[in-house]
Amino acid sequence: MKLQGKTALVTGGRGGIGRAIVARFLREGATVYAADLTPQGSLAEHDDDGSRFVAMNVADEAAVKAAMQQVDAEDGKLDILVNAAGIEIEKTIEDTSLEEWNQSFAVNVTGTFLTSKHALPLMRKAAAGGASASLINFGSYDGFIADPGLAAYCATKGAVHALTRAMACDHGPEGIRVNAICPGYIDTPMLQSFFTGDGSGGGGQSIDQLQQAVRDVHPMRTYGTPEDIANLVNWLASDEARYASGQLWVLDGGLSAQVQQMKL
Amino acid sequence: MDNCAIVTGGSRGIGRAVVDRLLSDGFDVVTCGRGARPVGLPDAVVWVTADVSKTGDAAMLIEKANAAFGRIALLVNNAGVQVEKTVADSGDDDWDLVMNVNCKGVFNMCRAALPDMAAHGGNIINIGSISGMVADPSMALYNASKAFVHGLTRSIAVDHGPKVRCNAIRPGWIMTEMAEDGFALAGDPQRAMADALARHPVGRFGQPEDIANLVSWLASDQSTYVSGECFTVDGGMTAASPLNPGLF
Repeated sequence: MKLQGKTALVTGGRGGIGRAIVARFLREGATVYAADLTPQGSLAEHDDDGSRFVAMNVADEAAVKAAMQQVDAEDGKLDILVNAAGIEIEKTIEDTSLEEWNQSFAVNVTGTFLTSKHALPLMRKAAAGGASASLINFGSYDGFIADPGLAAYCATKGAVHALTRAMACDHGPEGIRVNAICPGYIDTPMLQSFFTGDGSGGGGQSIDQLQQAVRDVHPMRTYGTPEDIANLVNWLASDEARYASGQLWVLDGGLSAQVQQMKL
Repeated sequence: MDNCAIVTGGSRGIGRAVVDRLLSDGFDVVTCGRGARPVGLPDAVVWVTADVSKTGDAAMLIEKANAAFGRIALLVNNAGVQVEKTVADSGDDDWDLVMNVNCKGVFNMCRAALPDMAAHGGNIINIGSISGMVADPSMALYNASKAFVHGLTRSIAVDHGPKVRCNAIRPGWIMTEMAEDGFALAGDPQRAMADALARHPVGRFGQPEDIANLVSWLASDQSTYVSGECFTVDGGMTAASPLNPGLF
Protein backbone atom coordinates (compact mmCIF):
# COMPACT_ATOMS: atom_id res chain seq x y z
CA MET A 1 0.00 0.00 0.00
CA LYS A 2 2.49 2.57 -1.25
CA LEU A 3 -0.08 5.32 -1.85
CA GLN A 4 -2.09 5.21 1.37
CA GLY A 5 -3.56 8.63 2.14
CA LYS A 6 -2.75 10.05 -1.29
CA THR A 7 -5.28 11.50 -3.73
CA ALA A 8 -4.78 10.89 -7.45
CA LEU A 9 -6.46 12.02 -10.65
CA VAL A 10 -5.93 10.06 -13.88
CA THR A 11 -7.06 11.55 -17.19
CA GLY A 12 -8.05 9.00 -19.78
CA GLY A 13 -8.81 7.00 -16.66
CA ARG A 14 -11.25 4.70 -18.43
CA GLY A 15 -8.99 4.01 -21.41
CA GLY A 16 -6.62 1.09 -21.97
CA ILE A 17 -3.61 2.27 -19.96
CA GLY A 18 -5.63 4.62 -17.71
CA ARG A 19 -7.77 1.81 -16.33
CA ALA A 20 -4.72 -0.20 -15.31
CA ILE A 21 -3.29 2.85 -13.53
CA VAL A 22 -6.57 3.53 -11.73
CA ALA A 23 -6.84 -0.11 -10.63
CA ARG A 24 -3.25 -0.11 -9.38
CA PHE A 25 -3.64 3.17 -7.46
CA LEU A 26 -6.77 1.81 -5.78
CA ARG A 27 -4.92 -1.36 -4.74
CA GLU A 28 -2.15 0.82 -3.30
CA GLY A 29 -4.64 2.62 -1.08
CA ALA A 30 -5.09 5.93 -2.91
CA THR A 31 -8.31 7.88 -3.41
CA VAL A 32 -8.64 7.92 -7.19
CA TYR A 33 -10.51 10.14 -9.62
CA ALA A 34 -10.86 8.65 -13.11
CA ALA A 35 -11.43 11.46 -15.61
CA ASP A 36 -12.63 10.58 -19.09
CA LEU A 37 -15.14 11.64 -21.72
CA THR A 38 -17.56 8.87 -20.73
CA PRO A 39 -17.65 6.20 -18.01
CA GLN A 40 -16.73 3.65 -20.70
CA GLY A 41 -13.79 5.59 -22.10
CA SER A 42 -12.21 3.88 -25.11
CA LEU A 43 -13.38 0.41 -24.06
CA ALA A 44 -16.76 -1.14 -24.76
CA GLU A 45 -17.60 -2.09 -21.22
CA HIS A 46 -17.58 -0.25 -17.92
CA ASP A 47 -16.76 -1.95 -14.66
CA ASP A 48 -17.41 -0.18 -11.39
CA ASP A 49 -13.78 -0.11 -10.30
CA GLY A 50 -14.17 1.89 -7.10
CA SER A 51 -12.79 5.11 -8.55
CA ARG A 52 -14.69 8.39 -8.59
CA PHE A 53 -15.64 9.08 -12.21
CA VAL A 54 -15.32 12.66 -13.46
CA ALA A 55 -16.73 13.51 -16.88
CA MET A 56 -14.05 15.72 -18.39
CA ASN A 57 -12.73 16.67 -21.80
CA VAL A 58 -9.10 17.63 -21.09
CA ALA A 59 -9.20 20.20 -23.90
CA ASP A 60 -12.15 22.04 -22.30
CA GLU A 61 -10.81 24.47 -19.70
CA ALA A 62 -14.16 24.92 -17.97
CA ALA A 63 -14.52 21.15 -17.53
CA VAL A 64 -10.97 20.85 -16.20
CA LYS A 65 -11.55 23.67 -13.71
CA ALA A 66 -14.80 22.08 -12.55
CA ALA A 67 -13.05 18.75 -12.00
CA MET A 68 -10.32 20.37 -9.91
CA GLN A 69 -12.95 22.25 -7.88
CA GLN A 70 -14.58 18.89 -7.16
CA VAL A 71 -11.27 17.41 -5.99
CA ASP A 72 -10.63 20.50 -3.87
CA ALA A 73 -14.08 20.31 -2.27
CA GLU A 74 -13.84 16.58 -1.54
CA ASP A 75 -10.15 16.10 -0.69
CA GLY A 76 -8.57 19.55 -0.50
CA LYS A 77 -5.35 18.45 -2.24
CA LEU A 78 -3.98 16.39 -5.11
CA ASP A 79 -0.83 14.31 -4.56
CA ILE A 80 -0.72 12.64 -7.95
CA LEU A 81 -1.78 13.74 -11.43
CA VAL A 82 -1.46 11.35 -14.37
CA ASN A 83 -2.07 12.89 -17.80
CA ALA A 84 -2.89 9.69 -19.68
CA ALA A 85 -5.60 11.01 -22.03
CA GLY A 86 -4.44 10.92 -25.62
CA ILE A 87 -5.52 10.35 -29.18
CA GLU A 88 -3.72 9.13 -32.26
CA ILE A 89 -4.35 10.18 -35.86
CA GLU A 90 -2.81 7.60 -38.19
CA LYS A 91 -1.75 9.72 -41.14
CA THR A 92 1.19 11.46 -42.78
CA ILE A 93 1.10 15.26 -42.60
CA GLU A 94 -0.03 15.47 -46.19
CA ASP A 95 -3.14 13.44 -45.41
CA THR A 96 -3.75 15.13 -42.03
CA SER A 97 -6.37 17.87 -42.14
CA LEU A 98 -5.86 21.04 -40.13
CA GLU A 99 -8.82 19.99 -37.98
CA GLU A 100 -7.19 16.62 -37.20
CA TRP A 101 -3.87 18.33 -36.46
CA ASN A 102 -5.55 20.79 -34.11
CA GLN A 103 -7.51 18.02 -32.43
CA SER A 104 -4.31 16.02 -31.80
CA PHE A 105 -2.68 19.00 -30.14
CA ALA A 106 -5.87 19.92 -28.28
CA VAL A 107 -6.03 16.57 -26.49
CA ASN A 108 -2.39 15.50 -26.21
CA VAL A 109 -0.67 18.83 -25.57
CA THR A 110 -3.28 21.44 -24.60
CA GLY A 111 -5.02 18.79 -22.45
CA THR A 112 -1.77 18.09 -20.59
CA PHE A 113 -1.22 21.83 -20.22
CA LEU A 114 -4.74 22.63 -18.96
CA THR A 115 -5.00 19.72 -16.56
CA SER A 116 -1.54 20.41 -15.13
CA LYS A 117 -2.17 24.17 -14.89
CA HIS A 118 -5.32 23.79 -12.87
CA ALA A 119 -4.02 20.87 -10.79
CA LEU A 120 -0.89 22.74 -9.65
CA PRO A 121 -2.52 24.72 -6.82
CA LEU A 122 -3.90 21.47 -5.39
CA MET A 123 -0.57 19.71 -5.85
CA ARG A 124 1.20 22.53 -4.01
CA LYS A 125 -1.16 21.93 -1.10
CA ALA A 126 -0.26 18.23 -1.12
CA ALA A 127 3.47 19.03 -1.24
CA ALA A 128 3.12 21.43 1.68
CA GLY A 129 2.83 18.34 3.88
CA GLY A 130 6.49 17.46 3.24
CA ALA A 131 6.26 14.54 0.82
CA SER A 132 6.60 15.56 -2.82
CA ALA A 133 3.64 15.60 -5.19
CA SER A 134 4.09 13.68 -8.43
CA LEU A 135 2.90 14.74 -11.88
CA ILE A 136 3.23 12.08 -14.58
CA ASN A 137 2.74 12.91 -18.25
CA PHE A 138 2.36 10.48 -21.11
CA GLY A 139 4.94 10.93 -23.81
CA SER A 140 5.79 8.09 -26.16
CA TYR A 141 8.81 6.42 -27.68
CA ASP A 142 7.32 8.02 -30.82
CA GLY A 143 8.46 11.35 -29.36
CA PHE A 144 12.04 10.17 -29.96
CA ILE A 145 11.82 8.04 -33.10
CA ALA A 146 8.94 7.99 -35.57
CA ASP A 147 6.53 5.27 -36.58
CA PRO A 148 5.33 5.70 -40.17
CA GLY A 149 2.03 7.45 -40.72
CA LEU A 150 1.76 8.97 -37.24
CA ALA A 151 3.11 12.45 -37.91
CA ALA A 152 0.80 14.55 -35.72
CA TYR A 153 0.98 12.01 -32.90
CA CYS A 154 4.80 11.98 -32.96
CA ALA A 155 4.85 15.79 -32.89
CA THR A 156 2.47 16.01 -29.93
CA LYS A 157 4.53 13.54 -27.92
CA GLY A 158 7.72 15.50 -28.60
CA ALA A 159 5.91 18.54 -27.23
CA VAL A 160 4.89 16.64 -24.11
CA HIS A 161 8.51 15.63 -23.53
CA ALA A 162 9.72 19.23 -23.65
CA LEU A 163 6.82 20.39 -21.48
CA THR A 164 7.74 17.72 -18.93
CA ARG A 165 11.27 19.06 -18.57
CA ALA A 166 10.03 22.66 -18.39
CA MET A 167 7.50 21.86 -15.68
CA ALA A 168 10.11 19.92 -13.69
CA CYS A 169 12.34 23.01 -13.69
CA ASP A 170 9.56 25.42 -12.79
CA HIS A 171 7.73 23.43 -10.13
CA GLY A 172 10.47 21.30 -8.56
CA PRO A 173 11.20 24.03 -6.01
CA GLU A 174 7.54 23.83 -4.96
CA GLY A 175 7.89 20.15 -4.14
CA ILE A 176 6.30 18.86 -7.33
CA ARG A 177 8.15 16.20 -9.30
CA VAL A 178 7.37 15.99 -13.01
CA ASN A 179 8.18 12.99 -15.19
CA ALA A 180 6.90 11.47 -18.41
CA ILE A 181 6.43 7.83 -19.27
CA CYS A 182 7.17 7.01 -22.90
CA PRO A 183 5.53 3.68 -23.78
CA GLY A 184 6.33 1.61 -26.82
CA TYR A 185 3.86 -0.94 -28.13
CA ILE A 186 1.30 -1.57 -25.38
CA ASP A 187 -1.71 -3.81 -25.93
CA THR A 188 -4.55 -1.26 -25.81
CA PRO A 189 -7.52 -0.31 -27.98
CA MET A 190 -5.25 2.38 -29.49
CA LEU A 191 -2.70 -0.24 -30.57
CA GLN A 192 -5.35 -2.55 -32.00
CA SER A 193 -6.71 0.43 -33.92
CA PHE A 194 -3.20 1.01 -35.27
CA PHE A 195 -2.98 -2.57 -36.51
CA THR A 196 -6.35 -2.51 -38.20
CA GLY A 197 -6.23 1.10 -39.37
CA ASP A 198 -4.65 2.89 -42.29
CA GLY A 199 -1.43 3.44 -40.35
CA SER A 200 -0.41 -0.22 -40.26
CA GLY A 201 0.93 -0.49 -43.81
CA GLY A 202 -0.04 -4.14 -43.48
CA GLY A 203 1.29 -5.27 -46.88
CA GLY A 204 -1.24 -8.06 -47.20
CA GLN A 205 -0.31 -9.76 -43.92
CA SER A 206 -3.01 -10.88 -41.56
CA ILE A 207 -3.42 -8.93 -38.34
CA ASP A 208 -2.06 -11.94 -36.43
CA GLN A 209 1.04 -12.13 -38.64
CA LEU A 210 1.54 -8.41 -38.25
CA GLN A 211 1.25 -8.61 -34.47
CA GLN A 212 3.71 -11.51 -34.31
CA ALA A 213 6.16 -9.58 -36.49
CA VAL A 214 5.94 -6.67 -34.09
CA ARG A 215 6.47 -8.91 -31.07
CA ASP A 216 9.49 -10.53 -32.70
CA VAL A 217 11.29 -7.25 -33.24
CA HIS A 218 11.26 -6.56 -29.49
CA PRO A 219 14.22 -7.80 -27.44
CA MET A 220 11.66 -9.04 -24.90
CA ARG A 221 9.77 -10.76 -27.79
CA THR A 222 6.43 -9.37 -26.70
CA TYR A 223 4.75 -6.07 -26.41
CA GLY A 224 3.72 -4.59 -23.14
CA THR A 225 0.52 -4.62 -21.15
CA PRO A 226 -1.20 -1.68 -19.48
CA GLU A 227 -0.13 -3.25 -16.17
CA ASP A 228 3.53 -2.92 -17.19
CA ILE A 229 2.96 0.81 -17.53
CA ALA A 230 1.00 0.99 -14.28
CA ASN A 231 3.95 -0.64 -12.48
CA LEU A 232 6.21 2.31 -13.37
CA VAL A 233 3.49 4.93 -12.83
CA ASN A 234 3.01 3.49 -9.36
CA TRP A 235 6.72 3.73 -8.57
CA LEU A 236 7.01 7.30 -9.88
CA ALA A 237 3.90 8.28 -7.91
CA SER A 238 5.30 6.83 -4.70
CA ASP A 239 7.73 8.37 -2.23
CA GLU A 240 10.33 5.80 -3.35
CA ALA A 241 10.84 8.01 -6.42
CA ARG A 242 11.40 11.16 -4.37
CA TYR A 243 14.61 12.03 -6.24
CA ALA A 244 13.28 11.28 -9.73
CA SER A 245 12.22 14.36 -11.69
CA GLY A 246 12.43 15.86 -15.16
CA GLN A 247 12.94 12.51 -16.85
CA LEU A 248 11.44 10.72 -19.82
CA TRP A 249 11.03 7.07 -18.86
CA VAL A 250 10.98 4.87 -21.95
CA LEU A 251 9.15 1.59 -21.37
CA ASP A 252 9.20 -0.44 -24.56
CA GLY A 253 10.64 -3.91 -23.89
CA GLY A 254 13.97 -2.77 -25.32
CA LEU A 255 12.51 -1.87 -28.74
CA SER A 256 14.26 1.47 -29.09
CA ALA A 257 17.56 0.20 -27.64
CA GLN A 258 18.30 -1.45 -30.98
CA VAL A 259 18.84 -0.14 -34.48
CA GLN A 260 15.46 -0.51 -36.11
CA GLN A 261 15.05 -3.33 -38.59
CA MET A 262 11.27 -3.42 -38.68
CA LYS A 263 9.60 -4.57 -41.88
CA LEU A 264 5.90 -4.01 -41.37
CA MET B 1 13.98 -19.94 -6.06
CA ASP B 2 17.06 -18.24 -7.43
CA ASN B 3 17.62 -15.36 -5.11
CA CYS B 4 21.28 -14.54 -5.28
CA ALA B 5 22.32 -10.98 -6.08
CA ILE B 6 25.89 -9.87 -6.74
CA VAL B 7 26.63 -6.18 -6.16
CA THR B 8 30.12 -5.08 -7.17
CA GLY B 9 31.74 -2.32 -5.15
CA GLY B 10 29.44 -2.68 -2.15
CA SER B 11 31.74 -1.41 0.57
CA ARG B 12 30.43 2.17 0.61
CA GLY B 13 28.38 4.80 -1.18
CA ILE B 14 25.75 3.74 -3.68
CA GLY B 15 26.93 0.14 -3.67
CA ARG B 16 26.50 -0.20 0.07
CA ALA B 17 22.96 1.29 -0.08
CA VAL B 18 22.10 -1.20 -2.83
CA VAL B 19 23.46 -4.07 -0.72
CA ASP B 20 21.34 -3.02 2.25
CA ARG B 21 18.20 -2.56 0.15
CA LEU B 22 18.49 -5.88 -1.70
CA LEU B 23 19.07 -7.62 1.62
CA SER B 24 15.88 -6.14 3.04
CA ASP B 25 14.07 -7.07 -0.21
CA GLY B 26 14.94 -10.71 0.51
CA PHE B 27 17.93 -11.30 -1.77
CA ASP B 28 20.96 -13.36 -0.77
CA VAL B 29 23.65 -10.78 -1.35
CA VAL B 30 27.29 -11.18 -2.35
CA THR B 31 29.42 -8.09 -2.69
CA CYS B 32 33.05 -7.37 -3.42
CA GLY B 33 35.79 -4.80 -3.39
CA ARG B 34 39.53 -4.64 -3.66
CA GLY B 35 40.09 -4.37 0.09
CA ALA B 36 39.21 -6.41 3.15
CA ARG B 37 35.64 -6.93 4.37
CA PRO B 38 34.38 -3.50 5.48
CA VAL B 39 33.47 -2.99 9.11
CA GLY B 40 29.72 -2.92 9.66
CA LEU B 41 28.71 -4.93 6.61
CA PRO B 42 25.71 -7.05 7.72
CA ASP B 43 26.68 -10.61 8.67
CA ALA B 44 24.27 -12.08 6.11
CA VAL B 45 26.22 -10.49 3.26
CA VAL B 46 29.03 -12.55 1.73
CA TRP B 47 32.13 -10.45 1.09
CA VAL B 48 34.66 -11.43 -1.56
CA THR B 49 37.91 -9.53 -1.97
CA ALA B 50 38.08 -9.17 -5.74
CA ASP B 51 39.09 -6.72 -8.46
CA VAL B 52 36.44 -6.80 -11.21
CA SER B 53 38.97 -5.51 -13.72
CA LYS B 54 40.71 -8.89 -13.50
CA THR B 55 39.06 -11.57 -15.60
CA GLY B 56 40.03 -14.30 -13.14
CA ASP B 57 38.57 -12.40 -10.19
CA ALA B 58 35.23 -11.97 -11.99
CA ALA B 59 34.99 -15.72 -12.60
CA MET B 60 36.04 -16.41 -9.02
CA LEU B 61 33.34 -14.04 -7.72
CA ILE B 62 30.65 -15.88 -9.68
CA GLU B 63 31.93 -19.24 -8.37
CA LYS B 64 31.90 -18.06 -4.76
CA ALA B 65 28.40 -16.64 -5.15
CA ASN B 66 27.19 -19.90 -6.70
CA ALA B 67 28.77 -21.85 -3.86
CA ALA B 68 27.16 -19.65 -1.22
CA PHE B 69 23.67 -19.12 -2.65
CA GLY B 70 23.22 -21.03 -5.94
CA ARG B 71 22.30 -19.57 -9.29
CA ILE B 72 22.69 -15.80 -9.75
CA ALA B 73 19.39 -14.01 -10.37
CA LEU B 74 20.69 -10.47 -10.30
CA LEU B 75 23.96 -8.74 -11.10
CA VAL B 76 24.42 -5.09 -10.14
CA ASN B 77 27.57 -3.63 -11.68
CA ASN B 78 28.27 -0.70 -9.41
CA ALA B 79 32.05 -0.73 -8.94
CA GLY B 80 33.63 2.33 -10.47
CA VAL B 81 36.50 4.77 -10.14
CA GLN B 82 36.99 8.31 -11.32
CA VAL B 83 40.09 10.24 -12.30
CA GLU B 84 39.62 13.99 -12.27
CA LYS B 85 41.59 15.08 -15.33
CA THR B 86 41.16 16.37 -18.86
CA VAL B 87 42.37 14.30 -21.83
CA ALA B 88 45.50 16.47 -22.08
CA ASP B 89 46.43 15.71 -18.47
CA SER B 90 45.54 12.01 -18.46
CA GLY B 91 48.36 9.50 -18.58
CA ASP B 92 48.42 5.87 -19.60
CA ASP B 93 48.01 4.86 -15.95
CA ASP B 94 44.83 6.95 -15.69
CA TRP B 95 43.47 5.34 -18.84
CA ASP B 96 44.26 1.85 -17.58
CA LEU B 97 42.67 2.46 -14.18
CA VAL B 98 39.41 4.01 -15.41
CA MET B 99 38.91 1.74 -18.40
CA ASN B 100 39.90 -1.42 -16.55
CA VAL B 101 37.48 -0.89 -13.68
CA ASN B 102 34.58 1.01 -15.25
CA CYS B 103 34.53 -0.68 -18.66
CA LYS B 104 36.39 -3.95 -18.53
CA GLY B 105 35.04 -4.63 -15.04
CA VAL B 106 31.42 -4.41 -16.21
CA PHE B 107 32.29 -6.47 -19.29
CA ASN B 108 34.07 -9.09 -17.19
CA MET B 109 31.17 -9.49 -14.79
CA CYS B 110 28.53 -9.65 -17.51
CA ARG B 111 30.58 -12.13 -19.52
CA ALA B 112 31.03 -14.35 -16.48
CA ALA B 113 27.36 -14.22 -15.48
CA LEU B 114 25.69 -14.39 -18.91
CA PRO B 115 26.04 -18.05 -19.91
CA ASP B 116 23.97 -19.20 -16.94
CA MET B 117 21.58 -16.24 -17.17
CA ALA B 118 21.03 -16.83 -20.91
CA ALA B 119 20.03 -20.41 -20.13
CA HIS B 120 17.94 -19.85 -17.03
CA GLY B 121 17.02 -16.17 -16.99
CA GLY B 122 18.61 -13.27 -15.22
CA ASN B 123 18.70 -9.58 -14.62
CA ILE B 124 21.60 -7.13 -14.93
CA ILE B 125 21.59 -3.56 -13.64
CA ASN B 126 24.55 -1.37 -14.51
CA ILE B 127 25.34 1.89 -12.76
CA GLY B 128 26.10 4.41 -15.48
CA SER B 129 26.08 8.16 -14.92
CA ILE B 130 24.60 11.39 -16.21
CA SER B 131 28.25 12.08 -17.06
CA GLY B 132 27.93 9.54 -19.86
CA MET B 133 25.32 11.83 -21.45
CA VAL B 134 26.59 15.30 -20.65
CA ALA B 135 30.20 15.99 -19.73
CA ASP B 136 31.43 16.94 -16.29
CA PRO B 137 34.49 19.16 -16.67
CA SER B 138 37.88 17.55 -16.03
CA MET B 139 36.40 14.06 -15.91
CA ALA B 140 37.14 13.05 -19.50
CA LEU B 141 37.93 9.37 -19.07
CA TYR B 142 35.21 8.84 -16.47
CA ASN B 143 32.61 10.48 -18.73
CA ALA B 144 33.67 8.29 -21.65
CA SER B 145 33.70 5.14 -19.53
CA LYS B 146 30.08 5.71 -18.48
CA ALA B 147 28.99 6.16 -22.10
CA PHE B 148 30.51 2.71 -22.66
CA VAL B 149 28.34 1.33 -19.85
CA HIS B 150 25.20 2.76 -21.45
CA GLY B 151 26.08 1.28 -24.85
CA LEU B 152 26.91 -2.12 -23.37
CA THR B 153 23.59 -2.09 -21.48
CA ARG B 154 21.62 -1.74 -24.71
CA SER B 155 23.72 -4.41 -26.43
CA ILE B 156 23.15 -6.97 -23.69
CA ALA B 157 19.41 -6.26 -23.69
CA VAL B 158 19.24 -6.74 -27.46
CA ASP B 159 21.54 -9.76 -27.68
CA HIS B 160 20.41 -11.68 -24.60
CA GLY B 161 16.71 -10.86 -24.32
CA PRO B 162 14.19 -12.26 -23.68
CA LYS B 163 15.90 -14.46 -21.06
CA VAL B 164 18.02 -11.64 -19.71
CA ARG B 165 16.91 -8.12 -18.91
CA CYS B 166 19.58 -5.45 -18.75
CA ASN B 167 19.15 -1.81 -17.72
CA ALA B 168 21.31 1.02 -16.46
CA ILE B 169 20.72 3.73 -13.88
CA ARG B 170 22.33 7.10 -14.46
CA PRO B 171 22.74 8.80 -11.09
CA GLY B 172 23.29 12.52 -10.90
CA TRP B 173 24.98 14.17 -7.93
CA ILE B 174 24.69 11.61 -5.17
CA MET B 175 26.38 12.63 -1.96
CA THR B 176 29.09 10.02 -1.64
CA GLU B 177 32.78 10.35 -0.98
CA MET B 178 33.25 10.30 -4.77
CA ALA B 179 30.98 13.35 -5.20
CA GLU B 180 32.68 15.19 -2.36
CA ASP B 181 36.01 14.62 -4.13
CA GLY B 182 34.43 16.20 -7.22
CA PHE B 183 33.43 19.34 -5.33
CA ALA B 184 36.88 19.55 -3.77
CA LEU B 185 38.19 20.19 -7.29
CA ALA B 186 36.44 23.56 -7.43
CA GLY B 187 38.26 26.80 -6.68
CA ASP B 188 35.63 27.58 -4.04
CA PRO B 189 34.04 24.27 -3.00
CA GLN B 190 31.32 25.93 -0.87
CA ARG B 191 30.21 28.18 -3.71
CA ALA B 192 30.37 25.27 -6.15
CA MET B 193 28.12 23.24 -3.90
CA ALA B 194 25.57 26.07 -3.55
CA ASP B 195 25.65 26.56 -7.31
CA ALA B 196 25.14 22.86 -7.97
CA LEU B 197 22.28 22.72 -5.48
CA ALA B 198 20.51 25.59 -7.27
CA ARG B 199 20.48 23.49 -10.43
CA HIS B 200 18.41 20.72 -8.82
CA PRO B 201 14.66 21.17 -9.30
CA VAL B 202 13.94 18.93 -6.31
CA GLY B 203 16.09 21.17 -4.13
CA ARG B 204 18.62 18.72 -2.77
CA PHE B 205 21.44 16.39 -3.75
CA GLY B 206 20.74 12.71 -4.02
CA GLN B 207 21.34 10.09 -1.39
CA PRO B 208 22.60 6.57 -2.14
CA GLU B 209 19.17 5.29 -1.07
CA ASP B 210 17.55 7.22 -3.96
CA ILE B 211 19.49 4.99 -6.35
CA ALA B 212 18.86 1.86 -4.30
CA ASN B 213 15.12 2.57 -4.57
CA LEU B 214 15.28 2.25 -8.37
CA VAL B 215 17.61 -0.77 -8.22
CA SER B 216 14.98 -2.41 -6.02
CA TRP B 217 12.24 -1.69 -8.56
CA LEU B 218 14.34 -2.85 -11.52
CA ALA B 219 15.18 -6.02 -9.58
CA SER B 220 11.51 -6.73 -8.88
CA ASP B 221 8.69 -8.38 -10.82
CA GLN B 222 7.29 -4.87 -11.33
CA SER B 223 9.71 -4.24 -14.18
CA THR B 224 9.52 -7.41 -16.31
CA TYR B 225 8.85 -5.34 -19.46
CA VAL B 226 11.74 -2.98 -18.85
CA SER B 227 14.94 -3.75 -20.75
CA GLY B 228 17.61 -1.86 -22.66
CA GLU B 229 16.92 1.39 -20.84
CA CYS B 230 19.15 3.90 -19.12
CA PHE B 231 17.12 5.69 -16.46
CA THR B 232 18.29 8.96 -14.96
CA VAL B 233 17.77 9.73 -11.26
CA ASP B 234 19.24 13.17 -10.70
CA GLY B 235 16.63 15.32 -8.98
CA GLY B 236 15.82 16.95 -12.33
CA MET B 237 19.29 18.42 -12.87
CA THR B 238 19.80 17.33 -16.49
CA ALA B 239 16.24 18.30 -17.42
CA ALA B 240 17.30 21.91 -16.94
CA SER B 241 19.52 23.86 -19.27
CA PRO B 242 23.07 24.34 -17.93
CA LEU B 243 22.30 28.08 -18.13
CA ASN B 244 19.37 27.77 -15.74
CA PRO B 245 18.46 31.44 -15.18
CA GLY B 246 17.54 30.73 -11.56
CA LEU B 247 21.27 30.83 -10.92
CA PHE B 248 21.78 34.46 -11.80
